[in-house]
Amino acid sequence: MSEKEIIVSMKDICKSFPGVKALDHVQFELCSGEVMALLGENGAGKSTLMKILSGVYTRDEGSLTIFGKEYGDLNPKLAQEVGVAIIHQELNMCRHLSVAENIFLGREKKNGIVLANSEMEKEAAAILEELKIDLDPRQVVGELPVSKQQMVEIAKALSTNARILIMDEPTSALTAKEIDDLFRIIRDLRAKGCGIVYISHRLEELQYIVDRVTIMRDGQYITSMDFKDATMDQIIANMVGREIKEKFPRVTCEKGRKIFEVKHLNAGRMVRDINFSLYEGEIVGFAGLMGAGRTETTRAIFGVDPKESGEIILDGETLHITNPKDAIQAGIVLAPEDRKKDGLCTKLSIRHNIALPNLDILCNKLGVVSRRKENDMCADAVKNLKIKTPDVEINAGNLSGGNQQKVVVGKWLARNSKVVIFDEPTRGIDVAAKVEIYNLMNELKKQGIAVMFVSSEMPEVMGIADRIIVMCDGRITGELDARGVEQSEILTLATRFENKMASAE
Amino acid sequence: MTAFAGLIIIYIAFGIINPTVFSGQNIMNLLRSMSKYLIIGIGQSYVLITGNIDLSIGSVVGMSAMIAATLMTMGVNPVAAILITFVCCMVIGVLNGILVGKWKLPPFIATLGTMFVARGIAYMVNGNRNTDAIASGVGKEAGETFQNVFYYGKTLGIYNTFWIAIIIFIVFFFLLSKTRTGRHIYAIGSNVDAAKLSGVSVVATTTKTYLVSAFCSFIVGLILCGQAGMGNMEAGNMYEMYAVAAGVIGGISPLGGTGILLGTLAGASVWQTLENGLNMIGAQVGIQRLVIGIIVVFAVLLDVVVRNGVFKKKAPSK
Repeated sequence: MSEKEIIVSMKDICKSFPGVKALDHVQFELCSGEVMALLGENGAGKSTLMKILSGVYTRDEGSLTIFGKEYGDLNPKLAQEVGVAIIHQELNMCRHLSVAENIFLGREKKNGIVLANSEMEKEAAAILEELKIDLDPRQVVGELPVSKQQMVEIAKALSTNARILIMDEPTSALTAKEIDDLFRIIRDLRAKGCGIVYISHRLEELQYIVDRVTIMRDGQYITSMDFKDATMDQIIANMVGREIKEKFPRVTCEKGRKIFEVKHLNAGRMVRDINFSLYEGEIVGFAGLMGAGRTETTRAIFGVDPKESGEIILDGETLHITNPKDAIQAGIVLAPEDRKKDGLCTKLSIRHNIALPNLDILCNKLGVVSRRKENDMCADAVKNLKIKTPDVEINAGNLSGGNQQKVVVGKWLARNSKVVIFDEPTRGIDVAAKVEIYNLMNELKKQGIAVMFVSSEMPEVMGIADRIIVMCDGRITGELDARGVEQSEILTLATRFENKMASAE
Repeated sequence: MTAFAGLIIIYIAFGIINPTVFSGQNIMNLLRSMSKYLIIGIGQSYVLITGNIDLSIGSVVGMSAMIAATLMTMGVNPVAAILITFVCCMVIGVLNGILVGKWKLPPFIATLGTMFVARGIAYMVNGNRNTDAIASGVGKEAGETFQNVFYYGKTLGIYNTFWIAIIIFIVFFFLLSKTRTGRHIYAIGSNVDAAKLSGVSVVATTTKTYLVSAFCSFIVGLILCGQAGMGNMEAGNMYEMYAVAAGVIGGISPLGGTGILLGTLAGASVWQTLENGLNMIGAQVGIQRLVIGIIVVFAVLLDVVVRNGVFKKKAPSK
């Protein structure tokens, strides 16, 4: 690798938001040709620090030097000119525009006053080619899977000649193969002398690409070190300020009676002839690749999407669920996958969010909300889920990702349910918060509530679930006992596409 | 709440220029003229908080005034006339709710359609003419009673129109801030997908907001009918926009999810105080409109500035 020089140096950075000190004298350094992992729990200040570097926020105090030049207040445009590009956790794509249009958004090329579409498409194709991404620049972004959209984001960043690339949780929505592609791209960029800041909660993937780590906690700089000198336990201990004993706490319960059964459920192409049962005292994991139809299955059960046929049986009774309200009233709840889109009302307070699905409990016969009951419910949720917030009147949108997720889960656990469906409950949240979510699921399991746990992260499915149902392409392709299961077995089932099955049936 | 502070400043400023602003009669008139805008503002605010808009308000006001007046000139008992008018107005509300809530039409387009439909009905009910005096049908006494109940009469020394507005305000303030329906309205405005997944019926809730809006328009139609003592086909013209102005000046976000009815009260008050004051110091209608326009933009600008902290530190955008 070529000679390394310091390209970013941030010293004593402070930043306050109303009521919160987000950053407290933080240091950060990045060299050319390295991948720096920026680690910390949710709310540690990683995203805030990177938003300062990319000009989204302005700092209150501290100095910022990029490529040896000291900068005052940056703005996103200036940061881009300097060569800083950020790929956000939430994708910022215009879904109705094409790949090329997105890549050149805000910097469109023109012939006179007319857009030079063919030129932009050609250039976009060249960038995609260089990154070895197989995409048609004319395709509409909204039609692409999330992983490809992410690739477009990266292509967009590189098309601005960015030399400092910030990636915030880039792999959270990707499959193993797509992660390999991404890492290949990252390695290429590193070899070209780019500096890459890599924010991720998936510590197990760091070993494949990271050179150095910087660890933050509660808005403060903790340490930075070469990755090869650090052990995983050391990193985790620095992140959470204490040692986490078990990454996947498991409790054993007696498997009881059958609570919930789905028979011959069909709902569109992604939900085909689904049959399964949930029993008292067990967590059933749903594994599979992205787009295997697991989310669609949960949505069909919960009555969000229409069902074509099939039976849903709870405690021996067949239910007729046509909308989420029916499901909730029957005692089935769903903590959805995409919290920004489906889980939270970000403009409303935590109190309003937690109360929303539980207003039937909180209201009297006239529909008037009891503030006392509501406050009790929220206080319990904040306490039980350890939601970090000064009070429940804060807008849910102002919380960090992990705490938002806790609100989503909390609003469903505030009522007595018989079946709880979790769809990717730990996506994008840190180790400690993950363990808290696992503990909650275990708690439900102990109470005899049926837990359906959809996750794309195999280690957690294997570590937490008692039974694993694997889906592929809208069908259930197998069921495994979690005890002694091998990752390869799940993967085999998860990739058993229909053409292979054709001869067997 | 900046609106309330602004209100007091505006009021005192006009009072210094022309002390009759402080006179009892002027205050009474001010409260009465404000009432109409407060009522339609409440209706529009309900719709705005869900992130939608109701353009049919003014036409429903006109329809209400015309149907009630036409029936009364035909000699129909005023109470019966009011009930029939109520039903007709609610039909428009239900229609708006179905178009927007169930069939997912863009609210701007759907209510633009019902705006023309309702105005068309207002024209048609009396054969494209304004009505005669309502007293000609129901008699002098009943006609006067109707006019007094809705416009000219006083209770406890204050015009009935104001009392009607206050009762409507209290009822709908309570409904929005303390009940399940109110919570559902905010939830839909903030994130319709999350609301649906939390068991909120989007169709029912959207329809309820349009019903509230239609109800408020219905009441204002009766007030205008009481004021004129007859039905005017153009009654309520532009009221849907006045309603947006009242809400927006008071901090109701047209993007949905935020705002409280106290803001609408403040908005309607600021606006009417301003109009009243400008009137009292002899400003022309043109100037009045111009100033209102500036105030609307300024109020929203102020809101944006406070929220995004252009003058302060930047708040987290997440």
